[in-house]
Amino acid sequence: MEVTILVQATDKAFEILEKARNDARELLYSSAKLTSETRSLEERRKARDFLSGAQRSRLTLRNFAITSVLLFAFWIILSARFDAFHLTLGIICSLLVAYLSHDLLFSNIRLGDARVRARRFFAAAPWFLGQIFSANLHVAYLALSPKMPVDPQIIRFKTKLESDISWVALANSITLTPGTITVDIREGEFFVHALDRKVAYDLSTGEMEDRIAHVLMEADHIYIQDVLDVARIFGALK
Amino acid sequence: MTRVTDDIIIRTVARVLIPFIQLYALYVIMHGHHSPGGGFQGGVIFGASFILYLLTHGLEEAKARMSEMKAGLFSSFGLLIYSGIGLLCLIMGSNYLDYGRLSTILRVIPAQARSLGILGVEIGVGIAVMAVMFSIFFDIATGGEPPGGEESFGDRDG
Amino acid sequence: MGNFFLYLGMGLFVLVFLCLYRASFGPGVLNRIAGICAIGTKTLVILLLMGFIYNRVEMFIDISMVYALLNFIGTITAAKYLEMKGEA
Repeated sequence: MEVTILVQATDKAFEILEKARNDARELLYSSAKLTSETRSLEERRKARDFLSGAQRSRLTLRNFAITSVLLFAFWIILSARFDAFHLTLGIICSLLVAYLSHDLLFSNIRLGDARVRARRFFAAAPWFLGQIFSANLHVAYLALSPKMPVDPQIIRFKTKLESDISWVALANSITLTPGTITVDIREGEFFVHALDRKVAYDLSTGEMEDRIAHVLMEADHIYIQDVLDVARIFGALK
Repeated sequence: MTRVTDDIIIRTVARVLIPFIQLYALYVIMHGHHSPGGGFQGGVIFGASFILYLLTHGLEEAKARMSEMKAGLFSSFGLLIYSGIGLLCLIMGSNYLDYGRLSTILRVIPAQARSLGILGVEIGVGIAVMAVMFSIFFDIATGGEPPGGEESFGDRDG
Repeated sequence: MGNFFLYLGMGLFVLVFLCLYRASFGPGVLNRIAGICAIGTKTLVILLLMGFIYNRVEMFIDISMVYALLNFIGTITAAKYLEMKGEA
């Protein structure tokens, strides 16, 4: 009898010990996480401070110039009148709009090599068009066959793309392909509604993702701006 | 409706679209005399771009870009341009908004003066309509709450 | 060629009525929104076809762009309104 009580007491003591240890470990983990978070925040603030001043104003000026040139090209496409009066109006209007919203169009786009990007885009376009065409035929077959063999499902996958522009490009390509619709993106995780198993399988091979990463130069490109930032921080730390 | 949306697709697409929408609105205003559109339509499109910004980026950022006070100022300013051009014609000795007489100030032939006068009036109408559209949407979206909190207006409960 | 666009437009016109059925009788608000959005898209294409029929494409492109823009903003507004209502 006493032995069982003793064993139970020991058990309880061990349990309490175990719980305390778990608590301590969790505390340790959370404190470590907190420190790393504050440190990254601090680093970000530091980087922002470095970016401020001359570099920031130069960035703004560059954004302003590129935005107004793009908008003026758009104006010429819209207007198609080449007399001096309308061209002057176009210049004034594009400068005005660029002044109003130059921070929107390029708010976090790094300018890579635009020519490489354009060439890769035109090289990848036929594949996307072919994909859309074949998916169209498949969805038409699904809708027109009398049994309607649809098997709707939501698949989720983690993407390896990093910038929000490439997320949006991937999401819109998925939505543009018939049969699949991007429902949501949460922190790099895609929720895609697929119409049947074949479509879902086509998506999960990840070929579209690879192509978009290639077109937008995600993985294989060192951003000049990154190098500049890192160099400044490094110099200051030294 | 005025919260910041967490949907990254809509935010990014709106961010890229808004400058082009605004330029298109200006195009509609400026080319009002030889294609469909004019001051009102262009103003509506310009206001729609701000409404899109408010919907996607939330109330706070939209306020930083276009506050209620700015909207009120712009609507008055647009009306000032419109009525100013009209009154200028009246002062010059012709009817209200009869632009032919403006040719003496602008030093162009009367037909061209009419074209320029209409352009000026349309710019004024566009500015006013843009500001009014935005402030109407602003009032609906915030539920008619005054911007400075409760003490800046009379109490509604009685 | 004008006849071709005319028949195309008439076909789309019939499809608009199918969408209108979904928009007026559709079970639930989401079906109605989807129906209205589809009607907007079809109207846009019909406007362009009208431009081809009357040989004034450059004019009708302006109108259809505005139509597409307002359709887009309207759908987003309706969706956000529903999202807000779901939370309350």
